[in-house]
Amino acid sequence: MSRLVAELPAPTGTKPAGTGRRRRSRQERLAYTILLPALGTVFVIVTIPFVLAIWQSITADDGTLVGFRNYTRALSNPLFYDALRATGLYALIVLPTEILLGLGFALLVHRAVKRAGLRATLYVLAVLPLVVPPVAVGVVARLIYAPGYGVLNYVLQSVGITHSEIQWLSDPLLAMGSVASVDIWQWTPFVYLVLFAGLQTVPKESVEAAQVDGATWWTQFRYIELYYLRPLFLLILFFRMADVLRVFDHVFILTGGGPGTATQLLSLYIYRIEFRFFDGGQAAALAVLVLVAISILYSLVTRALPLERA
Amino acid sequence: MRGRRAAIGVRLILIVAGLGVAAFLYAFPLYWLIATSLKSKAELYQSITLFPRHPTLEPYFSVLVDRGFWVLLKNSVIVCAATVLVTLAVGLVITYPITRLSVPPRLRVGVLNWALSLRFLPPVAVVVPYFAIVRTLQIYNQPIALIGIYSLFNLPFAIWMLKGFLAEIPLELEEAALVDGANRWTSFRRVLLPLAAPGLMAAATIVFTFAWSEFLFALILTATPASQTFPVGVQGLVTQFEIIWNDMAASGVIAMSVPLVLMVVARKYLVAGLTFGVIREK
Repeated sequence: MSRLVAELPAPTGTKPAGTGRRRRSRQERLAYTILLPALGTVFVIVTIPFVLAIWQSITADDGTLVGFRNYTRALSNPLFYDALRATGLYALIVLPTEILLGLGFALLVHRAVKRAGLRATLYVLAVLPLVVPPVAVGVVARLIYAPGYGVLNYVLQSVGITHSEIQWLSDPLLAMGSVASVDIWQWTPFVYLVLFAGLQTVPKESVEAAQVDGATWWTQFRYIELYYLRPLFLLILFFRMADVLRVFDHVFILTGGGPGTATQLLSLYIYRIEFRFFDGGQAAALAVLVLVAISILYSLVTRALPLERA
Repeated sequence: MRGRRAAIGVRLILIVAGLGVAAFLYAFPLYWLIATSLKSKAELYQSITLFPRHPTLEPYFSVLVDRGFWVLLKNSVIVCAATVLVTLAVGLVITYPITRLSVPPRLRVGVLNWALSLRFLPPVAVVVPYFAIVRTLQIYNQPIALIGIYSLFNLPFAIWMLKGFLAEIPLELEEAALVDGANRWTSFRRVLLPLAAPGLMAAATIVFTFAWSEFLFALILTATPASQTFPVGVQGLVTQFEIIWNDMAASGVIAMSVPLVLMVVARKYLVAGLTFGVIREK
């Protein structure tokens, strides 16, 4: 029976045994001969866009330098702050909900479901939402929330909870909730899988010892399991935060950023500046700002991530 | 004794309720998508029905043939397959030296960290320069533009997955071949590749599904059905003024069926891929 475990790297890396100095230097030369052309090409392809983005952000369409004018325009646009606010609100709804639900579910299955077959089934089922294309999830959400044909209103009305149509997509707050619910639907299973795998690494002995000492399920979680899950929380938080900046597809399908700018997340905003307002300079300035922000965030967090380094 | 039994009963009810609610929240949306995709056009204009009255495959026919979406499906398959080939080839070229040859640890770590940092690059931040590049190279509205960009964005996953698979194959096997007089290339092709084949298949499947789902670049870099991918077509059905619900649902079912089927094969490796090897299946 296969099972999912978290494999946290040991603090000190073990070195592969060397096989003589001469042999190594020949191998090293071969390694560089293979590696350098490939890495060089990829590096150039990756770097060109950054350089180009910076160039676009300080020039006008005809190539004349405009200094920081694009940046001041980008930063003085009130829509930019709407986008920041929407992105922040989205993250504030989505991240805690996903983490709490995922954690709750991981604990529930870890404690209550002992049958290996059922665990394996839950594992397969939890993987599936992760690979559904966000566009398709957007379509499903549209079928549920849409005015007129949405099934949610139909169900609510036939059960008698409401008598009027609830405007899921045209009330600003409800629209944000609808958009966030799609994210929660798709990504809670990810949190569940990671944390469930983390729970499998908790040594049985310490849990049993605690139970003998009369630990309740809460103290067992608070003082033993949480300790093992901590690095994974960090991993989840960082991956999901980076993902919030990438969210585009399902929001584009479901609300298109509306009503007004209520669900116009940063990614949709940049898209709109570039491809609806055709303001390449301002879009490039925004892109550079996002890149700088994500680089700072990355350099702050990456060292703490529980990733294998060697 | 009775109190304890009651507590166990309450717990059981809570567990069953939790699993039940989750099952409903996941199953119903998918059921509703499929149910809608099986409804006839006539049924759309009546009041909402929870079950299709006369299930029909007509919407699928309408999407794939009448609307010509089979071309988009073909484009998607071509783009994704090419992406898989490019990503795995480049990924192998980068991971082979750092896992199979003795290189300074700093180089290994440097390459891996650099690949990881690419994972956090928000696509929308490079959309603007890529658009300009694609325009300049005159590959706008051509599959090659998508293949290049998808390969780039999937490379971090490929590098980390391949690194994991290659590192698990004992060095001695290749060394034995070398001692027997094979050169590096032969031992790579004859010894390493067959052993790494399951891992390569898993990585290929995962890269394929990621490329299959991509929407933003496909939306921006293609303009006509000749090169659009399937998700762009799905989006086209959604934002019309009058939505044809059953066609839209059918296109959604088609869009999600491919990765779902593939994932049944590669599920073991998906979580490892998404977490860069932190979570593994033993």
